[in-house]
Amino acid sequence: MPKFLFFFLLVPFLCWSQDFSDEDYIYLKRHEHIKISLNDDTFNIVQNITEQGKFNSSKKLYFANESIGYSSFSEIKDIEAYTYLPEKDKKINVDYFETQQVFDNMVFYSDDEFKSFIFPAVTKGAETHLSYKRIIKEPQFLGGFNFAIHVPTKSAQLSVEFPKNVEIGYVEFNTDSISLDFTKEETANSNIYTWTAYNTEGFQGEDDSEAPMYYLPHILLYIKNYENDGKKISVSNDLSDLYRWYVSLIDQVDTSDLEEVYSITDEITSGLHSKADKAKAIFEWVQNNINYIAFGDGYGGFIPAGAAATCETRYGDCKAMSNLLYEMLNYVDIEAYRTWIGSRKKPYSYYKVPTTSVDNHMITTAIIENDTIFLDATDSYVPFGMPSSFIQTKEAFIGIDKDNYQILKVPAQQANQSVTHITSNMHLENGTLKVSEKRLLQGYDKVEFVSDYIYKKESKTEEEYLNTTLALGNNKTKYINISKTNFDNKDTPLVLEYDLDIDSYTKTIGDKIYLNLDIDRSLSSSDVDSKDRKFSKKIDYKFERHFTTNFQIPDGYKASYIPDEIAFEDPEYGFKISYELKDGIITQTKFIYIKTLSIEKQDFENWNRFIKSLQKAYKKSIILEQI
Amino acid sequence: MIKKIALIALLITVSNGFAQHYKTYDWQKKPKLHKLTDDEKEASSVAILKKTIVEYHSDEVSSEPRLYETKHTIIRVNDDNGIAQHNTVYIPMYDVKQLINVKARTISPSGKVVLLNEDNIKDVSNVEEYGDFKIFAIEGAEMNSEIEVLYTVERAFEIYGSETIQANYKIKEAEFLFITGKLMSNVKAYRTIETFEPVKIDGNKAQRLTIKDIPAMVEEEYATPKANNISVVYQCFLPDQNITQNMFWTNVSNNVGRQFFPEAVVAQAKEDTNAIVEGKSDLTTFKKAALVDIFIKSNYTIVKNNNQELSDLDYILANRSASDYGILKVYAQYLTALDVEFEIVITANRFLTKFDPEFFVPGMLRDFLIYIPSERKYIAPDRFEARIGEAPFNILGNYGLFIASDLNHYFSKIIQEDPEYSRIRRDMNISFKNDFESVTIEQDQDYFGHWAETSRAVVNLSTEQGLIEYKDYLTGSGIEDKEILSYETLNTDMNQLEYNVPFQVKTTISSEVLLEDAGDSYIFQIGLVIGTQSELYQETERINPIEMVYPNRYNYEIIVDIPEGYTVEGLESLVIDKRYIASNGKETAKFESNYKLKDNKIVITIEEFYKTHEFDLNKYEEFRDVINAASDFNKAAILFKAED
Repeated sequence: MPKFLFFFLLVPFLCWSQDFSDEDYIYLKRHEHIKISLNDDTFNIVQNITEQGKFNSSKKLYFANESIGYSSFSEIKDIEAYTYLPEKDKKINVDYFETQQVFDNMVFYSDDEFKSFIFPAVTKGAETHLSYKRIIKEPQFLGGFNFAIHVPTKSAQLSVEFPKNVEIGYVEFNTDSISLDFTKEETANSNIYTWTAYNTEGFQGEDDSEAPMYYLPHILLYIKNYENDGKKISVSNDLSDLYRWYVSLIDQVDTSDLEEVYSITDEITSGLHSKADKAKAIFEWVQNNINYIAFGDGYGGFIPAGAAATCETRYGDCKAMSNLLYEMLNYVDIEAYRTWIGSRKKPYSYYKVPTTSVDNHMITTAIIENDTIFLDATDSYVPFGMPSSFIQTKEAFIGIDKDNYQILKVPAQQANQSVTHITSNMHLENGTLKVSEKRLLQGYDKVEFVSDYIYKKESKTEEEYLNTTLALGNNKTKYINISKTNFDNKDTPLVLEYDLDIDSYTKTIGDKIYLNLDIDRSLSSSDVDSKDRKFSKKIDYKFERHFTTNFQIPDGYKASYIPDEIAFEDPEYGFKISYELKDGIITQTKFIYIKTLSIEKQDFENWNRFIKSLQKAYKKSIILEQI
Repeated sequence: MIKKIALIALLITVSNGFAQHYKTYDWQKKPKLHKLTDDEKEASSVAILKKTIVEYHSDEVSSEPRLYETKHTIIRVNDDNGIAQHNTVYIPMYDVKQLINVKARTISPSGKVVLLNEDNIKDVSNVEEYGDFKIFAIEGAEMNSEIEVLYTVERAFEIYGSETIQANYKIKEAEFLFITGKLMSNVKAYRTIETFEPVKIDGNKAQRLTIKDIPAMVEEEYATPKANNISVVYQCFLPDQNITQNMFWTNVSNNVGRQFFPEAVVAQAKEDTNAIVEGKSDLTTFKKAALVDIFIKSNYTIVKNNNQELSDLDYILANRSASDYGILKVYAQYLTALDVEFEIVITANRFLTKFDPEFFVPGMLRDFLIYIPSERKYIAPDRFEARIGEAPFNILGNYGLFIASDLNHYFSKIIQEDPEYSRIRRDMNISFKNDFESVTIEQDQDYFGHWAETSRAVVNLSTEQGLIEYKDYLTGSGIEDKEILSYETLNTDMNQLEYNVPFQVKTTISSEVLLEDAGDSYIFQIGLVIGTQSELYQETERINPIEMVYPNRYNYEIIVDIPEGYTVEGLESLVIDKRYIASNGKETAKFESNYKLKDNKIVITIEEFYKTHEFDLNKYEEFRDVINAASDFNKAAILFKAED
């Protein structure tokens, strides 16, 4: 029996007191032991995984479905799986395993596979037992371990055993939320690090929250270096090692046959003089002409397709698109660099973790007249100069040349870059509210509208689509004379115009008409559950919305009540609504702004005060009385 | 699965000397872009051509005919969504012997042609239950280009097949060519007025269906668009085998029936049923069936993989795992052991397929039910949230093949025995706090039938986020600032032994936004207390027949306290009356709300019902009026005015 098993048998029983008996399925244990051996310069890395689950009820028998995923950089061996029925003291082996290829809508082709199987005869009280080995073929991919997952775990343990001439790096994330025990052990030739946590709660995601890895207690592990013949050899010691590895992959990019790429570049930049104009033309061409199709194919998941092939096939993933941009921009003497980056789904920093875990995306960085511009053509509608919204605040790992790199933070785009101006002119006609509205959308507001319209409208008519997305007035609102201009990826505002007929909206009671001018109730249901919500609220981008609403008082009526000004002003979010009466027209001016990308838990109360105050403001009606 | 059990051994030795059509069929040597109308240019994509050739070919060498299938499409893509929808191609390799040829090209608006590089075709193996695929991305696709794909596969010989013609984009010309030569064949098209014409293709007997300008199938509410696509079914067999549809059905009934109606109950099943009824006496048939259903759903898992043993009774009983087909054997064993008469029903999900008793194709036989004739109740073996009761809503209204224990079969439309099975009773008491600062709503609700089943499934199986959303729904959705003061659910156990036990919920909420200060009065948005009601839109002509999820009924009583010193105005907005009268004169749907003033209280009653799930497309507007009446009620507001 290996040493690590002895170790956890000594754990005092008290730690197991929390029984999670009201949970339908729990893990009694999830243990991973990584054994690293080194033979000259070759690593042999094996993860030994042992899991034991228990059904406390027979409600969710679907937990009997199990799958073990792996890529071409790893291999699964020696799977042993069985169900144990304590009442009958009976063990039933899993006798059927199926190998399937990963296939989903996000990635068109992937060579990732998984072994799937089902634990037999599960019912209330049944235990599932699973053990297997995962052989890690690349020392860069040592991986990590989650101490908490979707169901509770009574004992979660990661141990790593490695020769004394190897140095290991590790970083803990979100482990403050649990009690994590760490021990170091030594044998004659090896060091053993062990982390153990007991009774970790099950984790379930919440709407509009950051990605789970921002909250889940977990560890990332990596091999820093090893000694051979008195020489220290780096693996993932620091960022220069990661960069060296990336350069070795980039060296394999096919750079042949670029004539067509150059000729297209010449064509689209001809007549343009400034670097900014040329870069913009190139960026927009790639956005408009290269279709995003994702591939994940062994090292193809790391090595961009050649620019000539991307240009010919007119499709590619982020690597292919960024590489094409890189070639085209450099061809016209614009300083441009290949850039690795993690999306906002990744919580890591290169400074903390010098491994591939940090990133999942590639873009191109261009320097034009001392401005650093992050170009991500996978977002077909983002205007030149703005990064895609999902990489704001993330570290860009910019490859300068064979030996040099730079890390720069992609700035969060300011609220005044994503502004929408809404002008509405209203009057009453036979009890129906008639509105002419014009919306000017800029920045991410425009990007979001265009991409949602193109990909989410489906077979809905324009009227129905606007009705369900803008949700103006009530659900009897009719949209007529709809027009859209500048429906593109340029930085000119998108102009959306339409007329509305809103029936059953005003309330006539006695001789008074009650009319609410807030036909647009943006953010009205954005309050958070400050008591039970566990995680921060994520906001995709900062924005401003300016509304001007002019209501023509009908003949024979006067305004007997106009609401007072109401405002909530915080540096990060707020609104102001005011009313003015002039020449028979009531003008409502409304300004809403969000200048943060996240509402942290400690700010929930304040955020809810903002939303509550907005809800109150939204329910203020004007009252018209017959003269 | 049915395909495997329903196989009929056909010895075929017939020959014909003509060559296969796919060898000569080809695309245009020099392609040109096609002309589109202005409307077609507005769409994300339009199919210029969608052609399928199914060819049964017999020769002297092989004992059974060979089956070839050729697909040829030309699609114009007009925007990014059109490109994204058509620039990846998946060729299913399930039951395919060989991919004979495949080619694809893009014709750009400038006339440039980019051919598919065959090296870029990739294999994907064992995808869920669909088997293997050949996949490739279209090269050179750009806006306003045409994507043309042509491939032929040889399939494993199969007597029957089906093909969906209509798609979610317009098809300017669709063709289905069915080449059978000297073989016998049947072919049928659904939901089109066009008919097959007999033709000769390379000297072989064939039938051709051509349909022009097929509109895009649209998603509509209260509809089953996927099942309503224009489609074709076909059969092909030996000239001397005059197989009637009835022979096909009888064959299935015998094969399936023999597997399910056991000659003897095995020891393990006896042991299990003894445990199931242990300590219980005088059990009714309903209770016995309910106990069996509960036991199986608490002890067995249904598995979708290729393990053949999941249909083997001994293996299933030992491993407590079965395929959706194999699990029926367990039901059959247990029910037989407890002397419960049952029938096997083979049918289809009405949202995907309309079951046709007139034409046999195994692709239609997808779902299994168990029918208890004495109780007129169904068990849905593969729905683990469902327990014995009325037919599952996704089957309701479809036909089914019913197989009795003597292996005789009959067809019947699957109906809901009790039209009021699914209903909601809701009582509300509404009062105002602190001089109209806030409103308090106490609610007492009973959910019956499918409502109860769904509610139990959610509270027992959903995620935390799902539970939050369901709690919001049960307490009245759309009240933005709602505070839930109390919340209690009763009868939440999924395992119920009695028929149609209601799921109960008692709640108290308070809200400020439902009230609006209007000078000396207060506006109360009373309509919103029933929760958000969606409006049914229809700006374009309705296409799909009307099918609701299931018949249902709502009975609400809302009592509002009128605070002392106030009078109430605007009550007329509470009076709504919309009815749907079917062509037989019966009132099959209604929304009626009214009020009475009684002892300083407003007593509002709402009655809404849909006695069937199917409504006449010609009376769509009437139906829509009833549906939208609830959202009209949503807009009701009343005014409380201080008495002078």
